[in-house]
Amino acid sequence: METEQFNIRMPKDLVQDLDIISKLLKVNKSEWVKTKLAEEVHEEKNKLLMELSTLYANGMISKEKIEKLVGKEVADEMESIKVIAQKSIKQGLEYGKKLRKLHS
Amino acid sequence: MAKSSENYILDTSALISLGSINILEQVSKVFSVTTTNSVIKELEEFAEYDDKYGKIAKNVLKLKSRLTIESCKVTESIKYIEPTDNELYNLALKKKLPLVTDETKFVHHTRHKIEVYFTTLFLIVLTEAKYFTKKGSLDKLEELRDIRNWRNNIIYLITKNQLEQL
Repeated sequence: METEQFNIRMPKDLVQDLDIISKLLKVNKSEWVKTKLAEEVHEEKNKLLMELSTLYANGMISKEKIEKLVGKEVADEMESIKVIAQKSIKQGLEYGKKLRKLHS
Repeated sequence: MAKSSENYILDTSALISLGSINILEQVSKVFSVTTTNSVIKELEEFAEYDDKYGKIAKNVLKLKSRLTIESCKVTESIKYIEPTDNELYNLALKKKLPLVTDETKFVHHTRHKIEVYFTTLFLIVLTEAKYFTKKGSLDKLEELRDIRNWRNNIIYLITKNQLEQL
């Protein structure tokens, strides 16, 4: 996996706490922080994207605005989901009506 | 229940979704459902575990005889999707059949190449055709939302809005 250096200054107390965790769990401090950070970033990213997609589904934000905020790839994927969710409804209604006629 | 001539290809996520809200049997009575051996293998792997997906997979596999199971050579590959999904995509291309999946990435990368839908299609069909009541369908949508961890995603909001109008 490609990596990039990212330096942060941490309060001494936090570093000491990390030392305790590292000794008790017998794990590398940096690796442990990296794993925890990855979990947190993943969760927060999904939460924020979910909020954004809720606004998009409700027509409160445009695709262009989403693209400006988070990039084309995410905006395109949200558009795909919205289009196919609407298409699934349309198709469902058509077949549902056909089936009803078949029974009556 | 009359069987329609419509045929759909379903992936693992779609079978799990329909199995989780106990409508796969009804769907397979109304529509012809096709899937691949690789999907069945994935379900068998899920079924080895006793967690919620394992239990759903076991129930889906009980309905295996109702599904048409095929294999398909991958001649056109999409790099962003899994090999199992590429086989389904090729099957949809070859047979000119619509594909149903709840994998948003799969939908995103195939929607301009094949006809593709979310499983919410079947909830709407069965509600509109009066097999389910509106309340029953809304309850099923809530169950699906939980099992799929959809929270307030686009699929959930759009489908809920439509079901409420039926």
